[in-house]
Amino acid sequence: MKTQEMLINVGPQHPSTHGVFRVVLTLDGETVVKANSVPGYLHRGIEKILESRTYPQVLPYTDRLDYLAGLLMNWGYVNAMEELMDTEVPERAEHIRVIMGELQRIASHLVATAAYSGDVGGLTGFIYCFRDREDIMDMIEMVSGARLTPSYMRIGGVAADLPDGFLEKCQKFIDYLPTAIEEYNGLITGNEIFQHRTKKVAPITAERAINMSLSGPILRASGVNYDLRKARPYSIYDRFEFDVPLGSNGDCFDRFYLRVLEMTESARIIRQALDKLPDGPINAKVPKIIKPAVGEAYAEIESSKGIMGVYVVSDGSTKPYRIHFRRPSFINLGHFDELIQGWKIADVIAILGSFDIVLGEVDC
Amino acid sequence: MFGKGLLKGLKITIGRFFGKKSTVQYPEERLPLPDRFYGKPDFHYDKCIACNLCVNACPNKVIKLGTETVEKKKVVTGYHFDQQYCLFCGLCEEACPTDAIKFTKDFELTTYDRDTIGIEFVKQGQIDKKIKEVKQAAAEKAAAAEKAAAEKAAAETKSQTEEADKAETTNKEGGA
Ligand code: SF4
Ligand code: SF4
Repeated sequence: MKTQEMLINVGPQHPSTHGVFRVVLTLDGETVVKANSVPGYLHRGIEKILESRTYPQVLPYTDRLDYLAGLLMNWGYVNAMEELMDTEVPERAEHIRVIMGELQRIASHLVATAAYSGDVGGLTGFIYCFRDREDIMDMIEMVSGARLTPSYMRIGGVAADLPDGFLEKCQKFIDYLPTAIEEYNGLITGNEIFQHRTKKVAPITAERAINMSLSGPILRASGVNYDLRKARPYSIYDRFEFDVPLGSNGDCFDRFYLRVLEMTESARIIRQALDKLPDGPINAKVPKIIKPAVGEAYAEIESSKGIMGVYVVSDGSTKPYRIHFRRPSFINLGHFDELIQGWKIADVIAILGSFDIVLGEVDC
Repeated sequence: MFGKGLLKGLKITIGRFFGKKSTVQYPEERLPLPDRFYGKPDFHYDKCIACNLCVNACPNKVIKLGTETVEKKKVVTGYHFDQQYCLFCGLCEEACPTDAIKFTKDFELTTYDRDTIGIEFVKQGQIDKKIKEVKQAAAEKAAAAEKAAAEKAAAETKSQTEEADKAETTNKEGGA
């Protein structure tokens, strides 16, 4: 009997693509023979827009890259600017950044966990994670005035000091988190159906992960111990004690579970930062009109999706000559086409979910 | 045993079913918003000194400031806030030296058409009042200055006449 291959579009309007992402699949029955991702539906030309904005005005646009981790995107940019301008950030500001950044990482991982649970069919887990993410959103709103687009960091510091009542709220959340994680494990991780859908699905070997320059939880799930916070500490991460969780199989389940483990580690960092939080100024002395000398700088941070790099070129004016973002989701997604070949169409969604992409960041 | 994980999950959801609710019934019930919340903008006409800092700070050219020079003083004649392009980043509020532009906690900003989304904060009455005030202040100042000048002039003429008188008397005396 002669069989015919079929072409099928997944997305761009498909909820499990987490935005507007399209994959053209060539199917033989239910098996994927060939895949062709078509990103770009959310492309806003941010890098180009930024060429006509002044340095402080760039900040609100970075929120719109990975809108599930706006603070980390802010941080990536200000980090590069501080390197370009050789600015020393005050101690208190660094601690606030660590606290807020790690909270944002937990929030981002909660969305990843939630969405993954939903992607493979367990919508209950989705709601539970979002309930707790709401606490973090409240805290971010309290500090910055917005939930998803905080624009909280400033070149040389942060926009405002922590408001009254924040420290208690944060402490309370950190104390509560282990109970919540236990719930997720009971609801999602321990569920047999979930495990059958994810274990041994689409493993990535450590070698392949490195060759495809994957970063973040996906890389570490394959057993590669590379976390910028440990490998090349930026800010004040060298002063905190925390472990880098590693996976062993590099399959969908490891990628999922690694994020749950990372939440605990983030909570550990926050606890230490809260204890050590010093008094003092929250902003370095930067000129009112920012005009860096001619030059360029590249700085990287570990965002929740992987290595977020920002490259700034200055021509000595008040506006950047060029800004480029190395977006982790975009680069991680480069391995997707190859990875899904040979898997069933139902697995495609499970594999894409385990990548935890955010289209604002992929398309930029 | 297969299904143990499933049962554990069910136990959690049943426990939650009898627990406290995590949601509120919007719009009847509302959660409190923090003080720093960026909602609908609010503009205080009397505080604004027409310095243009907010316009320059804005990444998206949301604010259009209209000014007019009356008696060498800048008067705000328009403050148009095009909300549809606002990022609610707060850079304008941060730049303002007098807190004339502030954000309120009102977040229900939807309108039925594009024409009504922009806000013109400045009313014609406010401008007229301000211009009148400025003119009045200028007139008062001018009057005061005139008065002072007149007094000065009067004092001068007075002293001059006195001197002239003196001179005359001396002359008379000399003549006698
Ligand atoms: S909040 Fe931001 S975008 Fe909106 S008017 Fe102010 S500076 Fe412009
Ligand atoms: S910065 Fe403040 S005082 Fe200056 S023009 Fe804007 S609103 Fe007015």
